[in-house]
Amino acid sequence: MTDEELKAEVTAWLAANWRGAPPRTERFGRDPRAEWLAKVRDAGWAAPRWPAQWYGRGLSDAQARIVENCFAEAGAPGTGQDRSNLWANTALAHASETFKPQIVPKLLAGEVGMCLLYSEPGAGSDLAAIRTRADRVEGGWRVTGQKVWTSGAHIADYGMLIARTDWSAPKHKGISFFFMPMRQKGVDVRPLRQITDESHFNEVFIDDAFIPEENLLGNLGGGWGVLQTALAYERSVMGDAARGARSGAKEAHGDAALLELAREAGKLSDPVVRQDVAQVIAWRMLNSLNTRRAKAELGQGTSSSIMSLGKLAMSRILHEEGRVRTELLGPESLLQGPDHPRAEDANFLSLNAYFTSIGGGTDQIQRNIIGERVLDLPREPEVDRDVAFSTVIAGR
Amino acid sequence: MTQVMTHEERTALRDSVRRLLADRCAEADVRRLMDTDTGHDAALWRALADLGVAGMLVGEAHGGSGLGPVELELVMEEIGAALSSAPMISTAIAAKLLDGDRARALAAGELIVAVAPLGAWDWTGQSAVRISNGRAQGVARFTPDGQIADLALLAGEDGVYAVERAAFTATPLPVFDRTRRLADLHIDGPVERICDGSRVAGALAVGLVALAGDQAGGARRVLDFTVEYARERRQFGRAIGSFQAIKHMAADLLLEAESATSAARHAAAQLAGDGADREVALALAGFACADAYVRCAKDGVQMHGGIAFTWEHPAHLYLRRARSGAQLFGDSRHWRERFIQALEARS
Ligand SMILES: Cc1cc2nc3c(=O)[nH]c(=O)nc-3n(C[C@H](O)[C@H](O)[C@H](O)COP(=O)(O)OP(=O)(O)OC[C@H]3O[C@@H](n4cnc5c(N)ncnc54)[C@H](O)[C@@H]3O)c2cc1C
Repeated sequence: MTDEELKAEVTAWLAANWRGAPPRTERFGRDPRAEWLAKVRDAGWAAPRWPAQWYGRGLSDAQARIVENCFAEAGAPGTGQDRSNLWANTALAHASETFKPQIVPKLLAGEVGMCLLYSEPGAGSDLAAIRTRADRVEGGWRVTGQKVWTSGAHIADYGMLIARTDWSAPKHKGISFFFMPMRQKGVDVRPLRQITDESHFNEVFIDDAFIPEENLLGNLGGGWGVLQTALAYERSVMGDAARGARSGAKEAHGDAALLELAREAGKLSDPVVRQDVAQVIAWRMLNSLNTRRAKAELGQGTSSSIMSLGKLAMSRILHEEGRVRTELLGPESLLQGPDHPRAEDANFLSLNAYFTSIGGGTDQIQRNIIGERVLDLPREPEVDRDVAFSTVIAGR
Repeated sequence: MTQVMTHEERTALRDSVRRLLADRCAEADVRRLMDTDTGHDAALWRALADLGVAGMLVGEAHGGSGLGPVELELVMEEIGAALSSAPMISTAIAAKLLDGDRARALAAGELIVAVAPLGAWDWTGQSAVRISNGRAQGVARFTPDGQIADLALLAGEDGVYAVERAAFTATPLPVFDRTRRLADLHIDGPVERICDGSRVAGALAVGLVALAGDQAGGARRVLDFTVEYARERRQFGRAIGSFQAIKHMAADLLLEAESATSAARHAAAQLAGDGADREVALALAGFACADAYVRCAKDGVQMHGGIAFTWEHPAHLYLRRARSGAQLFGDSRHWRERFIQALEARS
């Protein structure tokens, strides 16, 4: 198919089908646009780079981009999931042949709510130190342990879980990766109140919960590798965008909004404000240029080191934009609540910036990863890296 | 005459305030007050008055102890570290403006006074009060402690006016930092001129020093509990404080916190001694303490990781207070500008 034919087909399909969809205001849980997303999936536009067997069209990166542009022009969501849907990509790459057909279509349509069951009270940055255990039983696994900071667990159908299946192996090597059904006895979700006064993340107490055999992703004991795939998608999504307003609207921050705020505040002619606003917008622009170049390089088959930088860049952007917005508002930033939306946004952004600078691996860990994996600097010595995990915990 | 305390006396004063706050203004108390309408702890304020804190700047003739900015700053470091909502900044400013029975009542902790700076002093840029023929009408915005005030003072260049409780209504504001309450004062009624405008600058300087002390104390407290956590929390088989990423942040924050303390104390000393560097020192404290506190609180959250993203963890309470203090009485840009102006004037 030529580029023109493809463009014509997508445009015609959108014209015939796109009638709008309810907004997605919650980042977690089932997607309110599921009906539309199912249509996109069934037409082959959800993940056009994927093979037809998996609802795709086997398109090249360049052609997939044409699809994405058509959707963007129409304002229609749902395509590009072969790049952005962390759950579906992880499942496609690693789920068993039994489980894949059950879960992948649902993930593409947002028909299941998902969460990430990685962090534990004793294992945050040091994720390989998890102590949640999964023990083999007839037909599957039994899981016991505690997870924490689990965003969206309260409205999730499945959790992507890492649990220890081999205690005699070194810490990275005894971990397995599962899709755990969340709605079962044995999974107790308790919301935690966040500094933003929202409750999106939770503690999850797991007591003898069951996971069917086919829900293991990758090999037994190969969970660390699967996790790297999932983390890479998560971090790349976090480097692309972040929630800048309580409403969940992505656009409440961003270039136009920041300029507009400076104008409204009557400070757009102030030279210092101009410098500050320019810097934030420049960082944002540089980040998206980096991302674009990284994707192009990936499309050409070369792996790009720039990909790892986006999340760190976004963290800096968000913290700085929070500061600049606060400064623009002056005394108004002392307020909060629905009657003071601009203050609410500035304060929310300033606090929620930690979602990006701590969540998904902290800035400090992100810098270690860039230093070690991208720049090939020597590794930080890790005393318990190659020791059987049972020995490690006996020593603590 | 301002009384001068010996070093031992100062230490004793600070320790007694610290003990009282440790006992009566623990984190649980702070959180309880955050959820009340006024945010005020009347019993604690009485206890502070009994210690002589409410009246520390009131002259001995009016039942106070006639102390100065240096002692005030020390006390404020404790108040800031404890996140206390005690109306001490307002009280300190008022002490420099009131005389007679009102000063006596202030010192006894029986009269709570909110001060609204007007005209050139109006840091909010949004207050508008018309005063003529013994009456005032208008609004004074973002007034600290307005919601609990028995008396309001309108402090402008042409004089200071007392407004009795019957002549204003206070609308409490929905503040981001619930440990420091602000209210809009809607004023409509008779006022009494209590002194001319010449005392205002000095009184507000006292308020600025008080705020600087609060910030220095808060910055230091965040640093302390963050470093303590970095010593205890283990990842990768070692204390997170052993990672240079954390250790170096901690060292930078110590520089910030110590600089804030130096700036606050220097401003207090200059104000007390009417030193030649007074304006420079005040302006320096006006931004250095605010910026240091915001940085310590911000990085403090980052250094804790996920735990500090929870409401139950105290780090965000400090971050909120740091952010509110950084707006109160003018932001850092304002004070940096005043700083360079003072430098120019001096040279
Ligand atoms: C808003 C939010 C949402 C989240 N959602 C989820 C979720 O859905 N699922 C999930 O599993 N987790 C989630 N997390 C958890 C997040 O991934 C962890 O908080 C993060 O990885 C840090 O772990 P920790 O909190 O245990 O902090 P720690 O690992 O204890 O870190 C404390 C401090 O030490 C530093 N540090 C640690 N190790 C090193 C090192 N080697 N070198 C330098 N510095 C180091 C860190 O940078 C940090 O400053 C979420 C967190 C937040 C804040």
